[in-house]
Amino acid sequence: MTPSFSSTVHHGPIRRARPRRTLLMAAAATLTGALLAAGCAPSNSDSASTGTAAGAGGSAGGSGGGAASADGPVTLTVWSWRVEDTAAYRKIFDAYQSKNPGVTVNFKAFKATEYNQILATGLSGSDGPDVPQVRSYGQLQATLAAKSLVPLDDTLDLKGWDPTIVASAKGKADGKLYAVPFAQQSVQLYYNQDVFSANGIKPPTTWKEFQDACAKLKQAGVTPLAIGGKDDWTLPIVHEAVAASRFGGKEFAAAAASGKKNFTDPNWTASIQTVADLKQYMPDGVTGVPLTDAVTLFATGKAAIFPGGSYDLAMLKAANPDLKLGVFQMPVVDGSPAGATPTTAGWADGNFGVNAKSKNVAAAKKLVKWMSTKEFGQLVVDEIKQVSAVPGVTFSDPVMKQMSDFYAKNPSPYFLLTDFRYGTPSGGELFTKGMVNVLLGKQSPAQVGTDMDKGLAAWFKPQQ
Amino acid sequence: MRMRLGTAALFVLPALVLFGVFILYPMVTAFSYAFFDWQGTSRGAFVGFKQFEALFTKPPFTTDLPRALLHNIVFFLATIVLQNSIGLGIASLLHSRASTRRALQTLFAVPYLVSPLVVGYLWSLLLSPAFGPVNTLLRKVGLESWALPWLGDPTTALPVVILISVWQWIGFPVLLYGAALGGIPEEFSEAARVDGARPSQIFRRIKLPLLLPAIGTVSVLTFIFAMEAFALPYAVGGSTGNPGGATDFLSLLFYRTAFDSGATDAIGTSSALATLLFVVIFGGALTATWVLRRQERRLLG
Repeated sequence: MTPSFSSTVHHGPIRRARPRRTLLMAAAATLTGALLAAGCAPSNSDSASTGTAAGAGGSAGGSGGGAASADGPVTLTVWSWRVEDTAAYRKIFDAYQSKNPGVTVNFKAFKATEYNQILATGLSGSDGPDVPQVRSYGQLQATLAAKSLVPLDDTLDLKGWDPTIVASAKGKADGKLYAVPFAQQSVQLYYNQDVFSANGIKPPTTWKEFQDACAKLKQAGVTPLAIGGKDDWTLPIVHEAVAASRFGGKEFAAAAASGKKNFTDPNWTASIQTVADLKQYMPDGVTGVPLTDAVTLFATGKAAIFPGGSYDLAMLKAANPDLKLGVFQMPVVDGSPAGATPTTAGWADGNFGVNAKSKNVAAAKKLVKWMSTKEFGQLVVDEIKQVSAVPGVTFSDPVMKQMSDFYAKNPSPYFLLTDFRYGTPSGGELFTKGMVNVLLGKQSPAQVGTDMDKGLAAWFKPQQ
Repeated sequence: MRMRLGTAALFVLPALVLFGVFILYPMVTAFSYAFFDWQGTSRGAFVGFKQFEALFTKPPFTTDLPRALLHNIVFFLATIVLQNSIGLGIASLLHSRASTRRALQTLFAVPYLVSPLVVGYLWSLLLSPAFGPVNTLLRKVGLESWALPWLGDPTTALPVVILISVWQWIGFPVLLYGAALGGIPEEFSEAARVDGARPSQIFRRIKLPLLLPAIGTVSVLTFIFAMEAFALPYAVGGSTGNPGGATDFLSLLFYRTAFDSGATDAIGTSSALATLLFVVIFGGALTATWVLRRQERRLLG
């Protein structure tokens, strides 16, 4: 029967439309999307990029409004990725405007995840901001490489500032200062005061007390450590909060940054093991737990301790406004190098600089200089609720004050970010991969260090 | 004749201009970016294939690129096998139920209407080890040992992503095969039945060969879909494809290189990666179409 059927088919009424060409067109069309994503990145000054820059600048209100005569009215445009702080920044700049008649500060915030692209486009065109908020450390270098910012060594005087923080605003290649850091972040352990007191626990002062507290909490059915390992970018922060003393804090950080020690150092390996040993006190299946679940566990009293950054404070308060929060610094881990102290790691996570293409460079410099004063720093603390990087500001929130005090007393740089993010793969990225695998039991802590050294060798060339 | 050609060109011109400005120009620009050195957003010297070389010689690409490519291929093969065969099965079962076919087809296509980002988010909530109902249910019915951190363990994460994807897109082959089955004249089956063919024979020897063009279309579209999978993996595993890169895909690697790395030469390397991706998908689709057409001719000719 087959022949007759196949001949029917052959001469039959079914004519297939040409699938080939349509499919290839579909392939081409869908791929254009991926290519466009790359194609949108602007080049130096061709017509396409100025076109998009004009678009972005237009939505921001532009900066050309107040052309620069020496004393005439000036409009300065400030760009930022902190959409949630827009109202606070408007208030802050109102204070500046009232003291500097003739200056109007136009604050415009963009979505954080899209900010890098918008800023790159804005800075390459002629309608960018006068004062852009820029990233820190390694993330700043692409902006500097494009020569988009004005050096500010003569404008700013940051003596008395923490060098770790100031380094966030410097060019790696030329060592010049290009911006003023607006806030500092630090890493510590938050705890739920009610859960602690219900279980008769105080913030631990020794490693043994910490371990006993964890064991007691677990016995009582409370998850001791709220960690969301599925959002694996939190793991370097957990490691730093828990085990910084074990690898030797700032001494090791300095040795690693100068290339005297590498990540196969036994103390580094042991610090990873320290985190791995605490897995029993983390939520079950920790590598599958999203950060939001960890926060929920902590905010509802189902977990007692949340290792996190100072930037988490607002989020934790929002998750449960009635939460009685406390913070503590991890006591020195047993077996730490001689002379180790409890330490709090810190870094700066953003800066304000001056656009090299600004029409109002002088006025912009003046505004940025003001951002390095205590007046601005205090406004950042009071209005934006961030720990300002300006020395000498005061805190009304006890938790914020405590965090700032911890860092002031025993600071260490969060060095995977401050020193090992100047190339790809970054130190944090390599560590994160390894730490997940250690928690999954797929890799040994020593292997993590070996992989880090191998990956970093691609770009990390310390001057010895 | 010359006159006619000129007139024809005049009519084609507007479409050609639009195509050139909105498709060709951006694409060629993106290609060209891959051949230059970049310092942030300012273009440096022409460097030939250096950026492409970096994709094969420099970390993180030396480890991440082969891994991501492997995951794309596994994703493609699993989707072909699971989604398309289940889809074909459902379509032919529905085909014989004339009264409820429409309603059921719609039902199968419902998840298809939800954004993959939303689907990924919902499933990661359902599968969360701390609060997720899936594991709670498994514990309640005594399958304690099955209550795994589904998306937190590299051995289960990729299969789970594939299953979520199949769950979401199953309506696509059901609809396409449904339409193709509807295009096969009923007389063929009737004639075969008269000749004494069993239902399984009718399916294998009549319907399947006639469905071949549809199968080819679905396969090539699945290939393109799988090679540029982004939204679902991103929603489930984030831009790093966690846990530990177990759900990493090529488009996530592109995303990290272009938007997350902050490297000064990000534009160059990411353009090179995009170009490579284009070549792989375009070449793959071309080859697949060619092979399928040949098969088709051999079977039908």
